[in-house]
Amino acid sequence: MSNATPNKWNIKMGADLKNSIPEGPLDKKWDNYKSGIGVVNPANKRKYTVLVIGTGLAGASAAASLAELGYNVKAFCTQDSPRRAHSIAAQGGINAAKNYQNDGDSIWRLFYDTIKGGDYRAREANVHRLAQVSVNIIDQCVAQGVPFARDYGGLLSNRSFGGALVSRTFYARGQTGQQLLLGAYGAMMRQVDLGKVQVYTHREMLDLVKIDGHAKGVIIRNLRTGEIESYAGDAVLLCTGGYGNVYFLSTNAMNSNVTAAWRCHKRGAYFANPCFTQIHPTCIPVSGDYQSKLTLMSESLRNDGRVWVPKTKEMAQKIQRGEIGPNDLAEEDRDYFLERRYPTFGNLVPRDVASRNAKYVCNEGRGVGKTGLAVYLDFAESIKRLGRKAVEDRYGNLFEMYERITGENPYEVPMRIFPAVHYTMGGLWVDYNLMTTIPGLYALGEANFSDHGANRLGASALMQGLADGYFVAPYTVGDYLAGQKPVNPADTSHEAFKEARDGVDKQIKRLLSIKGSKTVLELHRELGLKMWDYVGMSRTAEGLQKVLKEIPALRETFWNDLNLMGSDMEWNRSLEFAGRLADFLDLGELMALDALNREESCGGHFREEYQTADGEALRQDDAFAYVAAWEYTGEPGAPVLHKEHLQFENVKLTQRSYK
Amino acid sequence: MSNLNLTLKIWRQPSPDAPGAMHTYKVDNISTHMSFLEMLDVLNERLVKEGKEPVEFDYDCREGICGTCGLVINGVAHGPRKLTATCQLHMREFKDGDVITIEPWRANAFPVIKDLVVDRGAFDRIVAKGGYTSVNTGNARDANEIPIGKEDADKAFDAAACIGCAACVAACPNASASLFVSAKVAQYAHLPQGHPERERRVLKMVQQMDAEGFGNCSNHGECEAVCPKGISISNIALMRREYMKAALKTGAAVV
Amino acid sequence: MQQADKQMSRPGVLSAVLSIFNTSVGRKVITGLTGLGLVVFILGHLAGNLSLFIGAEAFNAYAHKLESLGPLLYVIEIGLLAVFVFHIVYAIAVTSQNKAARKAGYVQHGDAGKPSQKNLSSQTMIYTGLILAVFIVVHVVMFKFGPGMGSGYAYELHGEQVRDLHRLVVESFKNIWIVLGYCAVMLLMGVHIRHGFWSAFQSLGAYHPRYTRLIQSAGVLLAAALALGFFVLPIYIYLFVELPTV
Repeated sequence: MSNATPNKWNIKMGADLKNSIPEGPLDKKWDNYKSGIGVVNPANKRKYTVLVIGTGLAGASAAASLAELGYNVKAFCTQDSPRRAHSIAAQGGINAAKNYQNDGDSIWRLFYDTIKGGDYRAREANVHRLAQVSVNIIDQCVAQGVPFARDYGGLLSNRSFGGALVSRTFYARGQTGQQLLLGAYGAMMRQVDLGKVQVYTHREMLDLVKIDGHAKGVIIRNLRTGEIESYAGDAVLLCTGGYGNVYFLSTNAMNSNVTAAWRCHKRGAYFANPCFTQIHPTCIPVSGDYQSKLTLMSESLRNDGRVWVPKTKEMAQKIQRGEIGPNDLAEEDRDYFLERRYPTFGNLVPRDVASRNAKYVCNEGRGVGKTGLAVYLDFAESIKRLGRKAVEDRYGNLFEMYERITGENPYEVPMRIFPAVHYTMGGLWVDYNLMTTIPGLYALGEANFSDHGANRLGASALMQGLADGYFVAPYTVGDYLAGQKPVNPADTSHEAFKEARDGVDKQIKRLLSIKGSKTVLELHRELGLKMWDYVGMSRTAEGLQKVLKEIPALRETFWNDLNLMGSDMEWNRSLEFAGRLADFLDLGELMALDALNREESCGGHFREEYQTADGEALRQDDAFAYVAAWEYTGEPGAPVLHKEHLQFENVKLTQRSYK
Repeated sequence: MSNLNLTLKIWRQPSPDAPGAMHTYKVDNISTHMSFLEMLDVLNERLVKEGKEPVEFDYDCREGICGTCGLVINGVAHGPRKLTATCQLHMREFKDGDVITIEPWRANAFPVIKDLVVDRGAFDRIVAKGGYTSVNTGNARDANEIPIGKEDADKAFDAAACIGCAACVAACPNASASLFVSAKVAQYAHLPQGHPERERRVLKMVQQMDAEGFGNCSNHGECEAVCPKGISISNIALMRREYMKAALKTGAAVV
Repeated sequence: MQQADKQMSRPGVLSAVLSIFNTSVGRKVITGLTGLGLVVFILGHLAGNLSLFIGAEAFNAYAHKLESLGPLLYVIEIGLLAVFVFHIVYAIAVTSQNKAARKAGYVQHGDAGKPSQKNLSSQTMIYTGLILAVFIVVHVVMFKFGPGMGSGYAYELHGEQVRDLHRLVVESFKNIWIVLGYCAVMLLMGVHIRHGFWSAFQSLGAYHPRYTRLIQSAGVLLAAALALGFFVLPIYIYLFVELPTV
């Protein structure tokens, strides 16, 4: 069903995508699928090599599980140890439909919450499978010695998270991601000791090698020596995380990037829903131009903190100039804007609503802090009501972190918070098997687009990464390999390797030869500001069209005025970052185009033109209940749009309201 | 707060085999709200503008959990603030006019890659010897089948909180990795899931630690004092108990 | 299987067991155990010395009693020697490995502060230890293998001629330089025990969130008490004991 005529934004249309969802009722699909797939003979598994890119939750768990099955695995990470992948920074917890609390949770309920939370832009079958395997994840992690929080009786403790009506979140203090990652990392290191996994650290994937249309290898830069290395394999698993750093400032780690995914996109993997990004409302605000990253504080703070700004711009300006402090403002001079606008949910409105409202009051000039880009999160009332001790018990470590970063004591002065980019729901398009549009190339975890629709629920990122790695990919990759003749992993003599290696080498040499005047950091900051202003938490057709002109101009500047020091044959971080920025510039443009094309508001994508009278996101289900998967055509600004139409057979689409 | 003018003395070493030396740089007008690494970002931006090579240092999450960053600041690993990794150290800990020396983690087991970046692969090789339970995916039984008392679970967590930054090694006068290894041994010693491999784990991990060329622990306790997660040296004592029990039972230092 | 058989052969068993003490943990267990053994010995030695305050007769009687233990004395002495040798050899091995573990050192050294236990004592163990080792040799040569009855150092004890160790000691400590040297070494011994005592417990795996604090405090007190205890004797002799006339 291809449509050759471009749409009104001059976007070319391609054929619709098939997602290979198995037949049968929703709750039987995964089981049916597993009974029907191809399986590699155990004696033959050792003849196959799987290349895993990235060693976060998805990558480490996939590497370990595939090696346990008998495949040879090569795992690559940019960090100096696989244990440092950014999954480690997840604080809150991991959801699972265990129903240990007897509060009526079920696989269906977790499935339903995830679909609804994603504002009906996720694929039912994938999400249901995710909910199904969620229970196995917890079992697996406990067996690995992950020290989840427990009650005195010795059983696992749960909390409710992100406004969920049941307690299904398992956690390990505020370091759940760390503990889960160390579990997966340990499982992978065990396979290293057994000789089934080889880990390559300080390695960055810079291109995909396709032979006869299938993913058969990768080109890697050794970040320590600068050497370009080639690796051949029978399948490539991209577990490379999200692209939040396109905004320059985000809660992502500094080395998180889109390069591996983007270079696969350039090789033919479609990129889906790039405009679906998630903003987290409770981050520590920017303090100056030198700011390199943003730090997130658990959303739980909004359970007891009250969000406010001064009622008038004049008072806000006095605060910005430091003439008065927040405690000097009388109660009647404060605007508790969330409580005022959303009397039912108050300070507990969803992430996107809280974030957008903070942005609005700051746009009105009522923001606080030196930059005027912050709102207060005030615990004075809670301290009065519960006592300082109780507040300390609940939030002590968060307060401490806030104090460490800002130098202010939140027990005495209200916290300043501001939204920040936190997670990206979009990613490489994958079918039910997690395979991209390139056969043999898979995308797992945050790197794919599949499970969270337009908005991800709290404590679901960890769940998805581990579900993909432990329980989905080992089956689906095996099914693919069963039909493939194993390659010789030592043989990278095919012309396709040379071509890819030469391309990578050429780009590196080109970057180093520009010798302009701007640093990578300056240009990245510039891109980030544009993305934040126009493709951030609220978007307009006008702004998007503007930025679609500005990004190509910035790309010109980048390729003509970049200044890099050092050489390619050594550790050279600026060079790494330059390569990543080149891809962010392309991605940024695609995000803007995707946002422009999606003329509706849903989840993390808010188009100001599409809102209810109350300022709520207004979906356009008739026109946009599809996944927008973009095909690269050789020119970043002219991709082809392929649609995967979403079928909702099990849930009814409703509009959310938090009034 | 007023801004700071500082003198930085930084270890520069172009490559693993090249000789290195301390170089002096001045940075002006440093906001006290900056993090230490942002201060170095500012220096690097200036160096690039001046056509000089930026100072290489390692970092990733910049929120104190990934364990990538690590600088010895004025002779103290991760600098002056307790329970704080370098990335969360802020410039308000310093005074105008301060001279700050910045050096890489020093240990033979951690060769310098460039400037302040070192290779901590030794830690991965130690973990590969036993920092896990040998449970294949899908083999697990129900998560609540074995109750674990809250106290044991908490103790296991306290040990598991290690971020693997290796400040313990950097700060130890003997460059010993005992705190790191013991934290992993302790995590599993406190949990029933870790017990089937208890003896094997401690023997093999200690053996690998020694093979990597780390020093012996002579109980200076400097490791605990610099640890961003406050991992206690009680874990080292526990590791020694576990080790002697395992070794005497096995009758050898190896399994 | 073949390997297992090899390990079961006799020399294999011994070297396997010894290998336990050739690891970073095992070595510290040896230094800790021997160190605590030496503390016990020092306490005994100090108690014996106290008989000097009673007078020549009591001291010589005590010395004679030890000497008349006969073969048992040799066993004890050899045991003691072994403890010393193991402590010293392992300590030297540990220290040289530690130095080798960081060939390129820091330009600037700092202290992290509490709860670190790093202090002057902990950082000078090898130096204080080596000085003590030299001192022990001198001490043994000076007194144990010093002039005996043949050289006129005889004392009549209950009608029996015994060695007059008392006179040798008193004569020695009438020399101000020997007094000063002795006291200086005893001070270093205190410094050594200051870290050594609690460290030995930790090396043996004995840690407790509360008791370890007590052990650390006890170590400080013990170090001070032992140093002072050994100070008193030479100073007392130098100031108050008359040189016996021959």
